[in-house]
Amino acid sequence: MITVIVIALALCAVVLFYMAVRGRRKQAGHGVRPVDLTAFRTLMDRDDELFLRRKLPRSKFSHLKRQRIRVTLRYVTRIASNASAVMRMGAAERLNPAPEVAGAAAQVTELATQIRLQCLVAMSKLALEYALPSLQLTPGMLAPKYQSLRDSVSRLGDLTHKPAPLAAAI
Amino acid sequence: MALKPLISFLSFAGMFLQGTLAIVLLARKSWRQHPLFTSYGVFSFAMSVMLYFLQRRAIYPRSYFYGYWIQEAIAMVLGFCVVYEVFRHLFSTHKALLKLASLIFRWTVVVLFCLALAVVFVQSPGASSLSKTVLVLEEATRVVEVGLLMFLFGASAAFGLHWKQAEFGIALGLGLFVAVQLTTVTLLSQLGMSAWAVLNVVRILAFDVSLLVWLGYLLAPERVATTGEVPKRAQLEQWNQAVTELISR
Repeated sequence: MITVIVIALALCAVVLFYMAVRGRRKQAGHGVRPVDLTAFRTLMDRDDELFLRRKLPRSKFSHLKRQRIRVTLRYVTRIASNASAVMRMGAAERLNPAPEVAGAAAQVTELATQIRLQCLVAMSKLALEYALPSLQLTPGMLAPKYQSLRDSVSRLGDLTHKPAPLAAAI
Repeated sequence: MALKPLISFLSFAGMFLQGTLAIVLLARKSWRQHPLFTSYGVFSFAMSVMLYFLQRRAIYPRSYFYGYWIQEAIAMVLGFCVVYEVFRHLFSTHKALLKLASLIFRWTVVVLFCLALAVVFVQSPGASSLSKTVLVLEEATRVVEVGLLMFLFGASAAFGLHWKQAEFGIALGLGLFVAVQLTTVTLLSQLGMSAWAVLNVVRILAFDVSLLVWLGYLLAPERVATTGEVPKRAQLEQWNQAVTELISR
């Protein structure tokens, strides 16, 4: 039994390494992708959900909620991916000789890191809600935090005296 | 023994690659960035040369055996140090994550240590000779090493961390070698010495591939992160339209 577990562990490791190589290539090929925060806020709005729950039969409501979760998950994945791109950009700018730029870059990196963690939590909550549509978990502060990230990236762009296409794009 | 020439060829190729890696590491002054990996690379090469001469001109019959296993033990300890070095590098720029990652890292070590202990308890009754005992210990150690490398790759994917080229190569090369080593050691303790020749070829081949991975990632130029792929306004509008349609469907 233990032999099977050990061999399975080794095989999982090889698969994980392969996925990491593929992920790295993909990451190099993709830039940032835009997020429509207004649409995202609408998707996260729980009042809509309460209304639908009251109006629709249980099965129809579950079906609709799962559809909505699938779309929300796409947004959260995109936010997570953009936060990761900002983390990378922030880490590079932290080496800037100007202390105010380095400081702002550190702040941006911290914020992006927090958003990335919140995305993980949000994904877990959404997965739970997908499994049990009757659950209604607090969606967290992802949308306002993301807006604040955009502002911080824009400020960082101003400090570095470079056009900040990243802030406009995320 | 048809495999003997193949083993000799792969061993020589490995020694050549180890030498090249040691030269690359020293020429690039890699000890400043990765002191532990540099030690690992140079030590591996020095020991390979020493073991080669021990094998050719053995003064004591068991000198190669002891030399080999002492080298393996030191290399395994250095391997753990390399994993920790990569971990520190990966999380050093993300202070907010470092605390959480360190906590998960410690718990992963505890879980893997328990699994390694289980391996020792289950396999040790069958280990009648010194060689078999050493194999069981190696299997247990490799379990921890593979697990920690999996943690590194898993955590970096979950947290969306960006690997530097060299660190990614170091972790990938070590991971490949250690995963194959774990498989061969486990199979060897199950199948016995009859499978030694074939598994030895696989093991040496895996090490040679790892050396190529290390060299490849160390010599390849670092990819520059660009923001050049920023979407145009029209693309943003297309996306918004697509989402609106998706929502209203």
